[in-house]
Amino acid sequence: MQISWLTGGPQGSGVDTAANIFSSTIIKLGYYVFGSREYYSNIKGRHSYFNISISDKPVNSLNSKVDILAAFDAETVFQHFDELKGYLIVDKSIFNDSLDSQRLMEDEIKERAESILDKQGLEHTVKGVVDYLKSINIAVYDVDFSSIISRIIKDLSIDAYLALRAKNIIAISLSLSLLGADKSFLLQAIKERFKNELFYRFNSAAVDYSYNLIESRFKLNKRESKRFYSLDGNTLSALGKIAGGLRFQSYYPITPASDESTFIEANQILNLDKDIKGGVVVVQTEDELSAINSAIGAALTGARAATATSGPGFSLMAEGISWAGMNEVPVVITYYMRGAPSTGLPTRSGQADLKFALNAGHGEFPRIVLASGLHYEVMSDAAYALNLAARYQTPVIHIIEKSLANTYSSIEEDLLKVRLKIDKIKRADSESIKDYKRFLCTEDGVSPFAPLGETRIFYSGDEHDEYGYISEAPLNREKIYKKRMKKLDTADKEIPYNDRVRVLGNKDARYAVLTWGSPTGPLSDIIADNLLDILVVQVKIFNPYPSSYIKEILSNKTLIAVENNYNALGAEILKENTGIDVKKRILKLTGRVIYKDELYDALNKIIKSDTDKVFINDGK
Amino acid sequence: MESKLKIESNDWCPGCGNFGIIRAEEMALKELKLDNESTVVVSGIGCSGKLPHFMNMRISGVHTLHGRALAFALGIKLANPRLNVIINAGDGDTYGIGAGHFVNAGRRNVDMVLVVHDNGVYGLTKGQAAPTLPYGEKTKSLPKPNIMNAINPLAVALASGYTFVARGYAYDVVHLKEIVKKAITHKGMALIDVLQPCPTYNDINTKEWYDKRVYKLESEGWDPVVKSESEAQEKLEKAIGKALIYSEKIPIGVFYQNELVPTFEDRIKSNIPNYLENPPALQQIDSNGISIFDPLTIINKVE
Repeated sequence: MQISWLTGGPQGSGVDTAANIFSSTIIKLGYYVFGSREYYSNIKGRHSYFNISISDKPVNSLNSKVDILAAFDAETVFQHFDELKGYLIVDKSIFNDSLDSQRLMEDEIKERAESILDKQGLEHTVKGVVDYLKSINIAVYDVDFSSIISRIIKDLSIDAYLALRAKNIIAISLSLSLLGADKSFLLQAIKERFKNELFYRFNSAAVDYSYNLIESRFKLNKRESKRFYSLDGNTLSALGKIAGGLRFQSYYPITPASDESTFIEANQILNLDKDIKGGVVVVQTEDELSAINSAIGAALTGARAATATSGPGFSLMAEGISWAGMNEVPVVITYYMRGAPSTGLPTRSGQADLKFALNAGHGEFPRIVLASGLHYEVMSDAAYALNLAARYQTPVIHIIEKSLANTYSSIEEDLLKVRLKIDKIKRADSESIKDYKRFLCTEDGVSPFAPLGETRIFYSGDEHDEYGYISEAPLNREKIYKKRMKKLDTADKEIPYNDRVRVLGNKDARYAVLTWGSPTGPLSDIIADNLLDILVVQVKIFNPYPSSYIKEILSNKTLIAVENNYNALGAEILKENTGIDVKKRILKLTGRVIYKDELYDALNKIIKSDTDKVFINDGK
Repeated sequence: MESKLKIESNDWCPGCGNFGIIRAEEMALKELKLDNESTVVVSGIGCSGKLPHFMNMRISGVHTLHGRALAFALGIKLANPRLNVIINAGDGDTYGIGAGHFVNAGRRNVDMVLVVHDNGVYGLTKGQAAPTLPYGEKTKSLPKPNIMNAINPLAVALASGYTFVARGYAYDVVHLKEIVKKAITHKGMALIDVLQPCPTYNDINTKEWYDKRVYKLESEGWDPVVKSESEAQEKLEKAIGKALIYSEKIPIGVFYQNELVPTFEDRIKSNIPNYLENPPALQQIDSNGISIFDPLTIINKVE
C-alpha cells in the first residue's frame, strides 16, 4: 500500500509546520513516510510544497502522481492539479482566484495550466480547475476554510491574523479525515508541536471544526509497528558525524548544507556514556576558505573535524583540500550537491559535481569520495567518512544531494540505536615522538600521527621530507610522492567491496541499473515492490573505485545508468576505471527528485523499446 | 628533548627584516618559557612563511596557504585552546589575499598573536606592490609607479575589533621583543604590524628611511591600555587617530590594548561550560573502538 499526499503554500506561511505535523501523525499511526520539501530560493511568498509517501513498509521515494492534494491557496491548485489522480481538498473561498493573478508563478507552469483549461473551454480560475478535475472523475472536496476560521475567531476570541495560520491545519485535518485516521493522533501531534497553549487551542479547534466535514475514503487504521523517527538527510548527517567523533565543525552559510551545522550547534553539548560531557565547537566562518582551512587546523590538533558546504563553497575549498592532501590531514567535507553550474538551482538537487568532488584541488593526492543513497545510510556513512579520514589520513568527501538532505523518511529506532564503530587514528608512540617524523615512510604509506602540542611537528604545503621540512630534492620528492599515493592502494586493499558498492535485486537479471546517490531511493522501491526484474548497482565509494568487483557484477548485462546529470557522470567514472561503456541512460536535469513512477515508466521504455536515452522531468 | 634539534637552513636575503622578527620572537618565547611544543607557529606563503622552519627551538610549525594562515590558526586554537598560537604572515598575505580573514579575526577576538611582516612588496614573486605600498611609489621592480593606495592596517584592525594593536620595527629587535611578549600575554586577538625593509625589492622604504622616521610611543607617554569600560571608546578613537600618523614621523609600540572584551574561547565556554577543560582535541570519543554517543539522546530532545 502506498498513498501519495501533497500540500503547498507560500513559503513562510507555515507549510513546513503543517507537513511536519502531518508526517508525525502518520508515524504515530504506525506507517512509514518518505517526504520531500521543494522550495524556491526565496524567504517569503514563493510556492513551496511537501510531497509525502505513506506506506505500511519502508519507503524511499515519491510518486509524481498524487492521491490527495490539499490546497488552501490558489497557486498550489494551479501548480499541481495536473499531477492529481485521486482527491482534491480545496478551500472554497479561493474559487474565484485567477491564474493571471499568480504573480510569482513561473510562466512555463502557468502556460501548462492554461492550455489544459483552454482545451476544455474552462475559465482560468480555481473554479475552472475544479470543473476540469470533476470532468476527469477526480473527487473534489470544497470546504469553506474562511467560515471555519471565522468560527475559531469568534469562539476563542482571538485575533484574525493568528486564526488565519490555522488554514494549514485545516488542510491536514481534512486530509487525515479523508484517510480515515483517528482524530486523536492528529491532536496528539499538534499538542507535541505547539508548546504555546494558545497555539494549541486554536489549532486543535481547527481540527475539531473540520474533521467531520468529509467522509473517509481510505482506512488508515492504527497499525502495530516498531518505533521510528522521521529524520531528514541534514539531521542524519549531523548525528552520524557526532557519533563518528566529530568535535569541530566549521561552515559558511549555504543552502542546503547549513542546516546540518546549525543542528549540530543547537545540540552541541553532548551527554555521552558514563556521564561524560562532550561538546562540539561549531564556528561560522567568514567564507568557505576559512571553513575548510580552520577544519584542517582543528584536525592537526587531533580533534575529529569537518565542514559542510555545497557546490559554490566547495569550489572555494579546492586549495585547502589540496593542502590537506599534501599534509595528510584527516578532514571530512560533507558535500551537499545541488543544481549547478554556478549558483544554478540553489534549492534544488543535482548530481553534476561528481567529477569535481573527485578532482578538486591541484595535484595528485589520495582522497576518498563516498556518496550516500538512502536516508538510513547517511548517518552511518557520515561516521564512516570520519573513520576513513582517520585511517588513511587524507581528505574524505561525503556527498549528500539536496534530494536526500531535504527529504526525510521514517528510520526505525533499532537502526539509530546501533553504536557506530570508531577507527582510531594510528598514533605515534612515546619513543618516536622524541625525534618525530610526521611523514615517516611506512609499509602501508600511513605515518603514525601526533597532535600539535605533543612534540615538535612540522607541516608544509611545500614538498617536504619525512620531518615536514621543506625539500625540493628530486629523490626525496619521488619518495614522499609515492608514500602519499600508496595510501590509496592501501585503502583499495582494505576497504571491503560491500562498503563501496551495494547491489539490490536479481543478480541474474538481464538488465543492470547503474546509479549512485539519491536515485537509489526510487530504484530500491521498484525492487522492493517487485515491479521489474532488474539488478541495481549503487556505487557508494568512487575513490578507490571497486573496479574488479564491479566488472564482475556487470559482466554480460545490459546496462542502464540513472543519474541527475547530463553526461551520466557515474557511468563515465565506470568507463574510466573499467572500460565498460553504459549506452542506455535515464537522466533528469530539472533539479527535482526522481519519482518512482516516472522512473518505472522510463525503465520500461528502455527495456521494451530500442531507446538509448530518456530524459525524465516530472515534478514542479 | 635529548636529541639535537634539526632545523632547516635559513635562505632569506642578507639584511632582510625577517631576521629581526625571528630573533625578537625567539627571545620573547624563551623569556616567557614558551619555547617548546606548546607553541605552534602558523605561517602563510612568501618569505615570511618560512619563519617557523627557521626557528631554533622546539616549537611546531604549520606552513599553510597564501592568505589562509589565520584560518588554519583559528581551527588549531579553538580545537586546543591550551596551545600558544602565533601567526606569521606577510602584508600581501594578510591585507591582500587574506583580508577577509584579517578583518573577521577582529570579530572573534581569539587569543592569538598575528605578526605581519610589512615590507610593502611581494618579495618572493620579485617585488610587486603589496597593500601597504603607498600610491605613486615606484619600487625597484615595478614597471610603473604604484597606482593603488596603501591601506592602514592598524586602523583597519582597530575598526575590526582587535583588542591589541601594535606596530614594531624589525631593526629594533629588543623593542619588538617586548611588544611580542605583551601580545602573547594579552588575552585576545593581537596584531603586530612590523615595519620591515626588503633590501632586495623595496629600495624606497630602506633602513635609512625608517631610522629617520620611527619613534617610540612610550617616549611621548602614550598609555594604550583600556582600564575600564568607560574609557574604551575614547582610547579606541585616540588609537585610530594615532594609527593614521604615518609620514615624516612613524610611531611604533602598542597603540591599543583592551582585555575587557571576552575572548572567543570565553564565548564558547558560555555555550559549552566544560570547553576549556575538555576541548575538541582532548575529548574521548569512543570506548574500545565503539562510539560513546547515542543519537537518541539528541533525537528525543528535539522530538
